[in-house]
Amino acid sequence: MGRLILNRLGALVVVLFALTVAVFVIQAVLPADPVRASVGANATKEVVEAAREELGYNDPLVVQYAHFLGRLAQGDLGTSLRTRHPVTEDIAHFAPATIELTLSAALLAAVLGTVLGVWSALGGRGSGVARTVILAFASAPTFLVAIFMVLVFYRRLGWLPASGRVDRIPLDEGPTGLLTVDGLLHGNLDQLSSALRHLAIPSICLALGPAVAIGRVLRGSLLDVMGQDHVRTARAKGLRERAVIVRHGLRNALGPALSMAGLQVGLLLTGVVVIELVMAWPGLGLYTTQSIQNVDFPAVTGIVLVMGTAYVVVNTVVDVLQLLADPRVRATTTASA
Amino acid sequence: MALGVAATGAGIRPGWFARSPRLGALTQRLRRLGVLEQVAIGALVAVTLLLLAVPLIAPHGASDVVADPLRAPSWRFPLGVDEQGRDVLSRVLLGMRTSWFACFAVIGSGIAIGGAVGVVAGLSRPLVDNSLMRLTDVFLALPGPLLVLAVVAALGPSLLHTLVAVGVVWWPFYARIVRGEVKAIAARPHVESARMSGARGWSLARRHVAPGALGPVLVTASLDISALLLTLAGLSFLGLGSPAPAPELGAMAARGFTYIFTAWWVPVFPAAGVFVLGFVGNLAGDAIRDMVEG
Repeated sequence: MGRLILNRLGALVVVLFALTVAVFVIQAVLPADPVRASVGANATKEVVEAAREELGYNDPLVVQYAHFLGRLAQGDLGTSLRTRHPVTEDIAHFAPATIELTLSAALLAAVLGTVLGVWSALGGRGSGVARTVILAFASAPTFLVAIFMVLVFYRRLGWLPASGRVDRIPLDEGPTGLLTVDGLLHGNLDQLSSALRHLAIPSICLALGPAVAIGRVLRGSLLDVMGQDHVRTARAKGLRERAVIVRHGLRNALGPALSMAGLQVGLLLTGVVVIELVMAWPGLGLYTTQSIQNVDFPAVTGIVLVMGTAYVVVNTVVDVLQLLADPRVRATTTASA
Repeated sequence: MALGVAATGAGIRPGWFARSPRLGALTQRLRRLGVLEQVAIGALVAVTLLLLAVPLIAPHGASDVVADPLRAPSWRFPLGVDEQGRDVLSRVLLGMRTSWFACFAVIGSGIAIGGAVGVVAGLSRPLVDNSLMRLTDVFLALPGPLLVLAVVAALGPSLLHTLVAVGVVWWPFYARIVRGEVKAIAARPHVESARMSGARGWSLARRHVAPGALGPVLVTASLDISALLLTLAGLSFLGLGSPAPAPELGAMAARGFTYIFTAWWVPVFPAAGVFVLGFVGNLAGDAIRDMVEG
């Protein structure tokens, strides 16, 4: 067991290493000249050459990669060409908004996905229609859902705000940087409700896709489990259907849904870039889009490294959780290793 | 093993998919499908043909100025007119055509790269097999769309760059599936007999192994259509597709977003175009899965 977890952690290190190689390779094929970008377009040839030597662009690639890793280890992601701040600082500044949004979307996706999965697996009548409706939701691009929600809930009904993180009210910004949690910690309920209302449209838009994916996988594995002997036994001993589903069905069917959820985090991280642009959400996604538009390459690589690391770590955590939760996964991993 | 040779040696007609009896079996399965599934597959074919013919049927060119800017939908311009006075219907149709075939191109490259890796891994010695599969695992574990973002940001926005970048990250799934199938097929008697009669390398792979992996690959590919469409549309929305005047659905929706409260048809219809294609892709994907596996 401990060895298996160590195994996963080893794989994590390898993948993170591969991530840095990938980003470095992308950096190395960059056609725009980073030296020129740093000294300005009017610099003389000698100045450019001196800067090139000084910044290490004349070293062999392996040496450059070693330096790159060294800087990474110190948390140095370079300086943004657009904001002129260290990229690490920029990311730290914009991260809480994105963390708040993705966490609430992930939570929503998990709840919605479970409900969807259970309902479509058990609902006898009308489940064909339900499946088609679910498929339709799975086919809608995030920005279409966002456009519709803004038109309906902001424009038409006026229930929800359509941009930004919070209204112009006195804020208690506390230890976490998440406006909802900070509002709760400081007892500032205006802040809490305003932040929640601003979260509603973007997090629902983000959650729909992953929720459908999780629901579909859960439906499949639930149908599988509900046909097994131990479920029949549970029914035969007179348990109520709800107890059968929750204790004997759902618990055993969660594994595949959990790994799907891990994979969906990747989708969430790219979806968040689109949604933040649509909803003017001041987070990492908006920072990414603006960096791309301004060819601010250090910023883009920094974000890709940070978000990529988050994705890889989350998936490793999901793997380990599955190892802990499901003895069958342990068995198959040992057999194949 | 002798039995294997006797059973397969005579009957085997080497050749791709088309000459094997599989196609006949597929048509039979198509007939056995439910109405909804048949309609879905029909829609897939119809959309493909329709989009092929778009340059002939689109009422206007992509950059033709046909009326005053921002005119609401009417009989003459069923989807309205955009901020530069161009016909939204024509631009959406052309954009759908680009998305649809771009998606096919990426899936094709995914099958080609992933299939090659999978077949080589499945037929090779354990050392080669293991290293190829570890490489695939690493690619699978990396956040593909994020890397695409970095690649396109580095190379500069263009549809070709986006497609190449997506193609580079879109093959590992296919490699896994093909490798699994190939492993299973390679253990069957007909492959053993083919090996004994001297088939090696490429010809062994092409004639005796690869056709067997086609079914699962087809299923994966069809379920992939909509995921890929949405990914490409998202990238285009972020400005990572062709530059400005090109009719791309994501980019059109993004630029039209400014007019969401004044001229909703400008952002809504391009986004709806993505939705229609994604929906057809999803429905047909499910139907094809039922057909191949059912």
